[in-house]
Order: sequence, then structure tokens, then C-alpha cells
Amino acid sequence: MTMQALSGLKVVEWCEFISGPYCGKLLADLGAEVIKIERPGLGDKARSHGPFPQDIPHPEKSGTFLYLNTNKLGVTLNVRSTTGAEIFKQLVKQADILVENNPPREVEELGFNYESLKKLNPRLVMTSITPFGQTGPYRDYKSCDLISFHVSGMAYINPSCGVDDIEQKPPLRGSENQSGLVAGLSGAIATMSAIFASHATGLGQHVDISEQEALANVMRITLGTYALEDVAWTRYRPVPLSEIYHCNDGLVYMVLDQDKTWLSWVEAMGNPEWAMSELFQDQVSRRENRDAGKMLIEEWTKEHTVDEVVRAAEARRIPCKAVNTVKESFSSELLADRGYFVEVDHTAAGKFQYPGAPCKLSLTPWRVERPAPLLGQHNEDVFCGRLGYTRQDLVTMRAQGAI
Amino acid sequence: MGALSSLKVVEWSEFISGPYCGKLLADLGAEVIKVEKPGCGDKTRSYGPFPQDMPHQEKSGLFLYLNTNKLGVSLNIRSVTGAEIFKELLTESDILIENHSPHEVEELGFDYETLKKLNPRLVMASITPFGQTGPYRDYKACNLTSFHASGLAYLNPPEVDDIEQEPPLRGPAHQGDLAAGLNAAIATMSAIFSCHATGLGQHVDLSEQEVLASMIRRNLAGVTYEGITMTRVKGSQSRGGSVMGHCKDGYFFMLCNTDKFWANWVEVMGNPDWAASELFQTTISRRENWDAAKMMIEEWAREQTVDEIVRAAQAKRVPCTPVNTVRESANSELLADRNYFIEVHHKEAGKLTYPGAPYKLSKTPWHVERSAPLLGEHNEEVFCRRLGYTRQDLLIMRAEGVV
Amino acid sequence: MQKLPLEGIRITDFCHVWAGPHVTQWLAVMGAEVIKIESNLHPDLTRSFFAGDKTLTPGLNQSVDFAVLNYGKKCCTINMTLPKGRELAKEIMRVSDIVTENFGGAVMDRWGLGYSDLQKLKPDIIMYSGSGFGRTGPYKELPAYAPIVDAFAGLFSLNGCLGSEPCPFGVGGWTDLVAAQHGAFAILAALHHRSNTGEGQYIDLSMTEVASSFLPDAIMDYTMNDRVQGAQGNRDNAMAPHGCYRCQGDDEWIAIAVSSDEEWKAFCDAIGNPEWTTDERFRDGLNRWKNQEELDRLIQEWTKTYSHHEAMEILQRAGVMAGPSLKAEEVVQDSHLREREFFIDIEHPEMGTVRLARLPWKLSDSPQGNYNHAPSLGEHNDYVFKELLNMSDEKIAQLQEEQVIL
Repeated sequence: MTMQALSGLKVVEWCEFISGPYCGKLLADLGAEVIKIERPGLGDKARSHGPFPQDIPHPEKSGTFLYLNTNKLGVTLNVRSTTGAEIFKQLVKQADILVENNPPREVEELGFNYESLKKLNPRLVMTSITPFGQTGPYRDYKSCDLISFHVSGMAYINPSCGVDDIEQKPPLRGSENQSGLVAGLSGAIATMSAIFASHATGLGQHVDISEQEALANVMRITLGTYALEDVAWTRYRPVPLSEIYHCNDGLVYMVLDQDKTWLSWVEAMGNPEWAMSELFQDQVSRRENRDAGKMLIEEWTKEHTVDEVVRAAEARRIPCKAVNTVKESFSSELLADRGYFVEVDHTAAGKFQYPGAPCKLSLTPWRVERPAPLLGQHNEDVFCGRLGYTRQDLVTMRAQGAI
Repeated sequence: MGALSSLKVVEWSEFISGPYCGKLLADLGAEVIKVEKPGCGDKTRSYGPFPQDMPHQEKSGLFLYLNTNKLGVSLNIRSVTGAEIFKELLTESDILIENHSPHEVEELGFDYETLKKLNPRLVMASITPFGQTGPYRDYKACNLTSFHASGLAYLNPPEVDDIEQEPPLRGPAHQGDLAAGLNAAIATMSAIFSCHATGLGQHVDLSEQEVLASMIRRNLAGVTYEGITMTRVKGSQSRGGSVMGHCKDGYFFMLCNTDKFWANWVEVMGNPDWAASELFQTTISRRENWDAAKMMIEEWAREQTVDEIVRAAQAKRVPCTPVNTVRESANSELLADRNYFIEVHHKEAGKLTYPGAPYKLSKTPWHVERSAPLLGEHNEEVFCRRLGYTRQDLLIMRAEGVV
Repeated sequence: MQKLPLEGIRITDFCHVWAGPHVTQWLAVMGAEVIKIESNLHPDLTRSFFAGDKTLTPGLNQSVDFAVLNYGKKCCTINMTLPKGRELAKEIMRVSDIVTENFGGAVMDRWGLGYSDLQKLKPDIIMYSGSGFGRTGPYKELPAYAPIVDAFAGLFSLNGCLGSEPCPFGVGGWTDLVAAQHGAFAILAALHHRSNTGEGQYIDLSMTEVASSFLPDAIMDYTMNDRVQGAQGNRDNAMAPHGCYRCQGDDEWIAIAVSSDEEWKAFCDAIGNPEWTTDERFRDGLNRWKNQEELDRLIQEWTKTYSHHEAMEILQRAGVMAGPSLKAEEVVQDSHLREREFFIDIEHPEMGTVRLARLPWKLSDSPQGNYNHAPSLGEHNDYVFKELLNMSDEKIAQLQEEQVIL
């Protein structure tokens, strides 16, 4: 088997749902060995969340779960049982990285906080991903994707094209699970940095990821703008004429935020008279007269297809693309050409197309070695093969509810 | 068509006693909907035996056997939505089988007084260690303690040399729980008959302690009427009526509890001199001198094979049998001739051989129409097609942990 | 007054000895009219069982064994060896719903009273036939003895202390009663079917098959894994501690089972957290299971200092499964069973007051059950022949003379 970028790294993933598992996926997809711990019976709660084929819930067929857990080994372990806790510690002892996204208080109660685990394994990098981080007044507050998005400030400025009436249109969470994904991604980066540090020091450390911070970080420009320029954006903050336009068969999004592109576009539209008006001569005036400008541009675009509009814009190096549904992007020539979607065959769920590599590495490419694990699929490999338990032990532990 | 085809049963029970009651009804054609908690399901799923000792939720031999012919749904009746759905199921049922602690049942609001308002025809069979009333009602118990609490264990095994060293012994595996389920099935049917006459259901109060104690009611009568007490000590229970002894290649068991059997047995042994002694001529004298008789018989038996002894004894009509392990009985000509074992094909566990019909009914024979359900296998059939929920509803309920 | 569920059902009952009568006893207690057919030539063998002083010979109506297994039933005497006797029996069957028998061998067939014969008499008749090895197959003529069946089915091989040789199991005639209960259930199912369709049927019950149906753990392990289980003693596949421990009194024991880490903690608290409970060998479930021999020894040091009832109270208060291993005398005295009125005093014309355990049959709205005393031989001749069959006194006298009613 050819080496992958992170081959050799051993990760234990004690996580649920989105944030932790995405961090684990990023590592696993580039070759790290990730042992995912799930509780016996229900497993990761993502298994209970759809989408499911034909809308029939099935713990082995959740699209969300299947995607987030490619390339991992899966075991069942009740870490709250005494036997389970013992086994957990044995796994952690042998690992380079522990990724977990459990409430800090619970982690402490179980005795799995970093201070305890580092005594077991001083090289351990422990990455904890939580809504509000390991410290601070909100540390133990309950949260979820919705809350995180809003407390980060991201929702407040969503949608970015602005709304007409901010009284009527509340701040908006992004599309599903973005908070968790961003937090997981941040976790992966930070984890790798800690791995590098440990090469030098021989010691691990605790990586503290706050979902709120991870999201807020995405809009750090907005925050900077406020901090430095005292400009506070809201949902009523249109960027002049960079928006969605209706065509006769769909929607396009075009960026017209510079004089240069504005002029090119006016040319593309055949230099209509209205465009010469004072009202649209510069950024400021275009912002002030945005409603009129949009309406007039759309009078033109509505006479053309999406395709025509996009070609016309791109020919003039104006950023413009069709506003696709997922179906259209999935079928797009672009992504097909890039080989972005990959087919994964799963014993229970069958063959489906999954989103593929977020980036391409030339020497150690991203790939799917194994689909998401069935619940407890690798119990024997891990507990017997690596920790020395016998099959009989597993039978007893299953009946005792430890695995 | 099965004998009990017109009956609709909801089984809200775990492990052995309740499920065996449900199996008896299901195997004769009743429609039994087994309600399991989401995730882990019935805890029997965690108990072996498992093929090749690999624990798997869908492959527990005990679960597969106990749950043939049932429909299976996953339902968290401790959630508000789940409780509602549970009640909807009960409104349309003839029988509810449950084996939870009375305290828990009351707390959840599923006690008989409440349920009968919902469905006056409902027969509710409650199977518990100590029944619905009495000072031990809320005591914790299991097959082991129930067996001991009934007085049965105290007399097992008979013929012990040193009762200080050899404690009272529970019967093999889960005989107690199975017996409780069996008696519950009888009592449930009687309540169904009662309902035919009155149009009303009732509460069946089944105490495992009482089931087992009634199995030794002859011994209990010995105490109350004859003042006789028995223990495990050699000589306390009846002696001289049977022998289990070593042969060259195994064990045999024979009954010689009548003069006729004894005389015939002596012939089987080739009329040895010692058997002519006065010590062994009557039932009473044999009882008094049993140690000696047994020793002589065993000396003789050790020179024979099991087969030789059994054939010779049966030829003289002395009840005699090999002492089989399950392997030998499973491969016996008798049970093969009777077609006792059956092959059942299960989606996950594959084809396996199961114990079959405990009785043969000429018109409505016992048969396995469907194998034990996968966890939640019939969620759609029951919740959507019968109760009118949509697939969308199920998706939401799954994510909420209701189903 | 509410009726008993099976009131109106009549059973002609040829069952005798142990397993058979238990079937009809259930049905009798639940209200069916069970008419036992015996005769002075061939009374039920159980009438001559007795456990007490062997120098006394209790009469045929004084056997405790018989009393325990036959309450609630009626009895008439018919000499079945004579064709006229069988004709007389047929008359009773003609007005019965169910016929039950457990002869060793095809006796009913030989008498011309097999199922196909009875169907001609009454097309919707239900016939129950219990046997040791089934009414078909290589052993169909062998009589049934529960311990033989148990030895054959593998029950002995699974009974005994851990790893011991096979041990006879069969206190109280375990398999007899288990088989009988399956029989009672099957009869009720057949009755249910009949009430929906009008069809009767034949029930063939083999005790060996019933015994096997009660050993799913061992059988499935064999069919799945080709593995032969042996005796487990008081142990369990998952729980530890799980066993029976000596208490203070003579031959006094308590059964204790711990099924989770929480219960283990409660158990340790209840016994005062002695040092050994923190030993590595016992700190988690798997290790407790593996080290249970030592664990049992240590626990017994605690239990030995209490009576079994005391130990139960201490442990139950902490939420731990524990219960004394009761002797029969203690079962009779048990406060819980007393409150539940498990024992009934039955008045018997020859035996006086007999305190017997009732069946574990308790319905909220049906009467307690038919616990009339076990019948004396021929006690209900008048009822059966005069009232039920409407025979004249002369006819009855004649049959008596001909030794048909005997």
C-alpha cells in the first residue's frame, strides 16, 4: 500500500455528529489511522440523522454519517463503564492524537481531561472541539449548530446581499452544519500544528477549539473592519450590484464591485443609455441607487439565458456563474472534469457518489480506502488484534454493555 | 392460518420471560409487534451465543430463537411522542405483554388502570419476579434469584455429599424466565376467553417466584401436610429409584423405581450374585442400602458402552437413556424423525438451525413464517401504514431519538 | 359474580400420573369441567404415591401427590378394558369439547378412541395427546419418564456445578410440568381457533421436544458454533458476581447477582467498602467476570456473617439483586407469598384441611379459580351418569353389575 501523507499517525476519535468527525475525516482521508469510538447500540448520533435513501431511516445508511466517516475504523465502546474506560485508556496510550467533542464537564467527570491523559501518554495531542472552548463563562453552556452560527456573528450578516427589512428578516444561520464543519476543519489544522510541535519537544498538548471562535474567525475581516474602521455591517449592507440576477431560465451571480468590471458589463449589455446616467457613475452612487440598477440590469438579463449571460461576462473577465442547485453543481462539467465526486461502495448502504478531495496532493493523493464503518465493525481488529483481548472477552463485554 | 391469527399483541418486554410469552403466541399465528428501544434494542441482542463468538446485534442465537414470527419496531416510549405512539398501538390491540418493574410501569403511566381506560378490552400480562403486590414487589431480581426464592434451587442437585461445599443450584441457563413466560401465555389466553364472555380485558399478574414455587408444590404440600422436609443431602430425597453412571464412553441414566424395573435391570446386568442379597430385594431395603447398590452397578457399567447398556435395558423395558449433551440430542434419530429442528433463514444471521415446535397441532401447525425482526425492521409498516405517520415524520422522530 | 374464563368447557380426561394431570389441572382451575376417567381396577397411579412413613398405607383418596395435582377436577369410574366401558366413555366425549390423554403408547388408538374415531363422534373435538417422545417416530411406544427425557434432551449435561459431570435435574418433575404447561397453552390456542372457525384438531406433544425448546442458549450455540456447553453452576455469561453464598445458619444461602458498574458500586457500599473491593481484579466488569472464583470467596466472607434474610434486606435496600435460597419450609412461611395468598386451605373429605400452593394464575377481574379438593375415586359417578348422561338408575345398576362402571 502506497504511503499517504499522514500514514503512521494514530488517531482515536471520541466524537459525535459533525465537528469532531469532520476533523477525524480530514486526517483519515489523508492516511492517518483513525479509530472511531461509538457508543454501543445507538452509535454516533449522525446515524440517526438523514438523509437516508428513500427516506427510510437506517443506522448504516445516513448520508451524513457515511460522508463524515470514510476511511475510519469503527469500534463500539461504552467509555462510561469501568471496562470501557480501561480500554479507552489503553487506546489513548497507543495514540498520537485524541480528537473529542464532548462537553468539558463530562470529560472531567470521566477522568479523561488532558491533565489526566497526558500522564498516561505524554506525547498525546488532545484536540477538544466544543461550542465555547475549555474556559470562560460560557464553557458549560449548551449549544448546537444554530447557536454557534449566531453567536459567532456570522448569522447577523447573513444573507450578505442584504435584506429589505431587517425587522422582518432575522439573522440567518448558513446551510446545514456549517459550524461543525468549520470547527472540525480548524481542529484538523491546529492538531497538525501540535504534531509538528511535538516533533521538536517530544511532548503533546491540549488543542482547544471553540466553535464560536472558529466561525468568528471566518469573518475576521468583518470584525477587523469594525475594530479598526468602526464600520458595523448588518444584513442591510448591499455591495452595489454584486448580486443575483434573474435570467430567462435561471439565476446568475455576478460581481460588479469595481469600475472596471462595471464598464465592461455595460459594454456587454450593448451600452444602454441608462447606464451612462450619473446615478451609476461610481461605486458610491451605484450603492445608493442599487435597487434601480438591479432592476435595469435584470431587464437585460431576463432576455437572455444563464448560459449567454455567463459567457458574456466571462469573455470580459467579469466574475459570473450560474446559481446552481446541488443537482446542477453535481452534474457540472467542471466537477466532472476534476474528478471531484467519487463513488464509494458500502456494504449496507450500497454504491453512492460522495464529495471527494477538498484538495489534490500530487504525491500522496486523497483517496477512500474504506467506507464509513458499520457500527462496531472493527471491534475484533482493534480490541483483539491490538489490545490482546480474546473473542470470549468480547462476548462477555457485549453482554455487560461495555462494548 | 394459525390458531391465534385473530389476536393482536403488543410486546413491550426484554430479555427472556416476556419475549418467550410473545413467541408462544406469535408462533401460533398471533400478530405480535415487539417494541424495542432505539439503538441497543432488546438486551438479548447483546447476549450470545453469536456465530464464531462475534457479537452482532442481529445475530444473537437467543434473540433469534425467542423472537421468531414477530414484527419489530424501535420506539422510545420514555419520550413524549413515543408514549403517544405506544398508546395508539395499544388502543388497537387485544394483548399487551410487559415485564418491567411495577414501579417503572406506574411512573410511565402505563399501569393497567390507566391503559384500560384507553382500551377496555385490553388484556395486560405483567411478568415480574415477585408480582404486582406484596412486600417484595419492588425488589430487584433475575433468573438466578427467582429460582432460589422459589425453593427449587434448594433441592438441586440431589444426592450431594457435602452441602456445606455445594450450594443450592439454579437450573440450567434461563429455565426460570422461560417458565415464567410460558405460564404467562396460559394465563393470557384464559383472560382472552374471559374477554369473549364479558367484552372486557383484565390484568394478568404473573410472579416468577410463584411460577417456580408452584412447580414444587408437591414438596410444599409435603411440608404443610406431612411435615416432611428435604434438602440436597444424599438420602434426603428419594433414593434407590434411579442411577446415573459412568460407562466406558459416557453416561447412562436408568429408572428402577419399581420392583419390576429392578428385577429386569438385574437381568440386564446378567443376574450378578450380589443382586440376590436381602439388602436389595425391596424398594425400602434398596433405599437403605443404595450406596452399595450404586457402587456395584457402576462397577458393572464401567465395562459397558452406553449403547450396549441402553439397548439391553430397553429390550427388557427398563427405562434407560444415554445422558446426552446437546450435541447428541440435536443429532438424535428421534428428534430427526420428528422433524423437530428447523432451519430458519434470517437476513443478517443467515441460515441456522433452531429448536422447533414444542407441540404438533394437526389443523393449525406451528411454523415460522418470519425470522426474528431486525431492529426497527417494521417501523414503516407499523407506524406509517397502520398509524398513518409519514416517512417524513419518521425521519424527524429518528433524529429526535423517538424511533 | 364473574365467571371463570373456561366455564362451559368440558374435558374428558384420561391423563394420569404427573405430566398429564397438570395440563388438565390448569384448565380445571380456570373453570373447565374436567372429568377424569379412572377405575378401581386402574386408579391413577399417583393415588398410591406417598412420601411419608412407609409402614402406613394411605387410602386411594389420601395421597398428597394426587391431591396436589388434581384439585378442581371431577372423577368417574369406568372400566376401559371392556368394550362397553369404551362405549360409555364415548358418551361423555360426545358432550365434551376436549379429550386429553398421556398414555405410554397408542392406547387410545387401540381402544378405537383415536383422533379420527373421535372426529366421527364430534367433528370439532380437540384431542390432546402427551407423551415422552411423540406419537410418531421411533420411540412412540415408550412410556414417558421425565428424568429419562431430561437425560436424553441434554438437560442433565447442563445441570451441576461449574464443569461438573451431568447431574440429574428434576425437582418436582420439572419437565413434566413444563411440558404440561405447553400442552395447556396449545389447548387454549386450539380452543381459540375453534371459537373462530368451528374447527377442532389434534395436539401431539412430546416432552423431549418441549425440553429442547427450553434450552435455546445451548442449542443455538451448538448449531451456530458446533460448541457443546456444560454445566454452569450458578454462573452467568455476563454478570459477576452471580452466585450463591453461605450465610450464617445451617445450609443457609443467599443468591446475589450484579449486572452493572452502578450495581457493583452499590454492592460495595452496602457491604462497607472493604479494601479488596478496590483490587484491580474487581474494578471493572470484565475483570470481575474473569476473577469471579476469588470474588465469590471474598463475598462469602461477608455473607457468612449474616442470616440470608438479613443479607437480602441490606442488599435490596442498596438496589442490588439478592434473595435467599429458600427451603420448602421457608417458602411456606414466606411473608411475600403469604400476603399474595399463594397458599390455599382446601377442605378434603378424607384428608381434612390441606394447605396447598395455588397455581400462579392471578387475573384482576376473574375469580380466584376453581380449587375444589381433588376428587375421590368415583366421587362424581352420579353427576356424570345421571345428570350429564341422563341414565336411569336401572341402567347404571346394570352397568355396575357388568363391571363397566367399576
